Amino acid sequence: MQLFLEQMLNGIAIGAIYAMITLGLALVYGILRILHVAHAAVYTVGAYIGLAIFSATHSILLSAAGAMVFCAGLGFLIERFVYFPLLKYPPYVPLIGSIACLLAIEELCRLAAGPYILSFPAQLPFPSFTVGGIVISSTLTAVYCISAGVLALLWFITTRTELGLAMRATSQDMAIASSMGINSHRIISLTFMIGSAVAAIAGILVGIYYNQVYPSMGAVPAYKTLALIVVGGLGSVPGAVLASILLGVGETLLIGYAGIPLPRDALAFIAMIAVLLWRPQGLLGGRG
Amino acid sequence: MLLEVRDLRIAYGDIEAVHGVSFSVEEGELVSIIGANGAGKSSILNAIMGLVPSRSGSIRFKTAEISRMAAHERARAGIRLVPERARVFPRLTVMENLRVGLYGIHDRSREEKQLEWLYSLFPILAERSGQNAATLSGGEQQQLAIARALISDPRLLLVDEVSMGLMPKLVEEVFTVLQELNRQKGLTILLVEQNALASLEISKRSYVLETGRIQFEGESRVLKDDPRIREAYLGL
Repeated sequence: MQLFLEQMLNGIAIGAIYAMITLGLALVYGILRILHVAHAAVYTVGAYIGLAIFSATHSILLSAAGAMVFCAGLGFLIERFVYFPLLKYPPYVPLIGSIACLLAIEELCRLAAGPYILSFPAQLPFPSFTVGGIVISSTLTAVYCISAGVLALLWFITTRTELGLAMRATSQDMAIASSMGINSHRIISLTFMIGSAVAAIAGILVGIYYNQVYPSMGAVPAYKTLALIVVGGLGSVPGAVLASILLGVGETLLIGYAGIPLPRDALAFIAMIAVLLWRPQGLLGGRG
Repeated sequence: MLLEVRDLRIAYGDIEAVHGVSFSVEEGELVSIIGANGAGKSSILNAIMGLVPSRSGSIRFKTAEISRMAAHERARAGIRLVPERARVFPRLTVMENLRVGLYGIHDRSREEKQLEWLYSLFPILAERSGQNAATLSGGEQQQLAIARALISDPRLLLVDEVSMGLMPKLVEEVFTVLQELNRQKGLTILLVEQNALASLEISKRSYVLETGRIQFEGESRVLKDDPRIREAYLGL
């Protein structure tokens, strides 16, 4: 029972991290109908920049802030110089551009930092708890608090602010939104910047959680998050978050706890195939 | 002259849809452009709004050349569009749709007053204010699209085929609302319509568009009695 609960807690933490990566993808798909595979490269860069700043300053706050700003800029540039010029072509063209971007950035990380696994020896300034014999480490507490904070902030922005209203209007009908005075291109840029800043946080958390930062750390998330936005319902941010947390828990319990002999990363795709067969619009997807 | 369009050409790829049309709308006027399906009416409105690029020609609004401005800049200058088939934001509530119409305008007291006025104009919207726009009927969506365009108090209202897909009774209601807005509030309206009779009845002047060219223009009450127009457009 105790092991089950501990695994459950780990699963939710992993799911929360997946959610922070996946929601950037869901936001971008919602607004541009592009599969933003290169988002996983932004996440990798976030981990590297975070680690570099942390090594230099030993401040995790500076590290997070710096990585968020850097990744927001990177997301902005990818949209402006890769997707925007390709939008007039069929959707597979920006997708190919995105894959090229992912590989290029991954190789740049390899060139800049070397092909090694670097450790990220940061202690997050969060307390650890022992409840009924179950230890909740400070890293786990940090993942819970930070991801809950990020998700709450995003929920607030999208549902309670004028910017969020403009984002939702733009994703539903870009032309009409712009005819209402919304600078839709600026909204698109902001969407990329927000999603990318959140990916930077996810990169740092993963780096610290597994104590590993390496050039291809984005490879598995790149396709896993694709499966997750399909499972959640393309373009649905709540769906993406729900699918991510379910997958984190599912992976940990079915493969880690129940010991089902499957590669851990296969589960996302089994879920995707199941959803495509029985509920093609995804868990929380609406029409189209 | 509030709006002056000169020699406007619009093309989609190699195919030119509008072959150099010129027309104007004065402050406080209700002007209609009538013509059959595919004559290029919607293209003209979309070009004024900035949703389709014009190939050549000039569009002047309040003396400024706007044909190279982005759509959102034209909207901020005071142009609003009631699009063909309403195009409300389906997964926003009625209230949120209206608030999109106020984007960038930060005046709380005015917002309240405008909402009150629009709800009295279209009472059904008040009843449905918390519902997603996708759940509204066609007629209700059309009313929402008009309210969304009116809430910002535009200088020029562009109305695209508002009668399409509506029951005749509803068409009459919507046209009455537009006429009253023009007469009582002095709102400048440019209307494009297939429903020639109704448009000629409420507008001061009209232009008749045929395959991308203006064939007739003049006072609506004169055009209404012109035998060529009676035969081709009014079925009389």
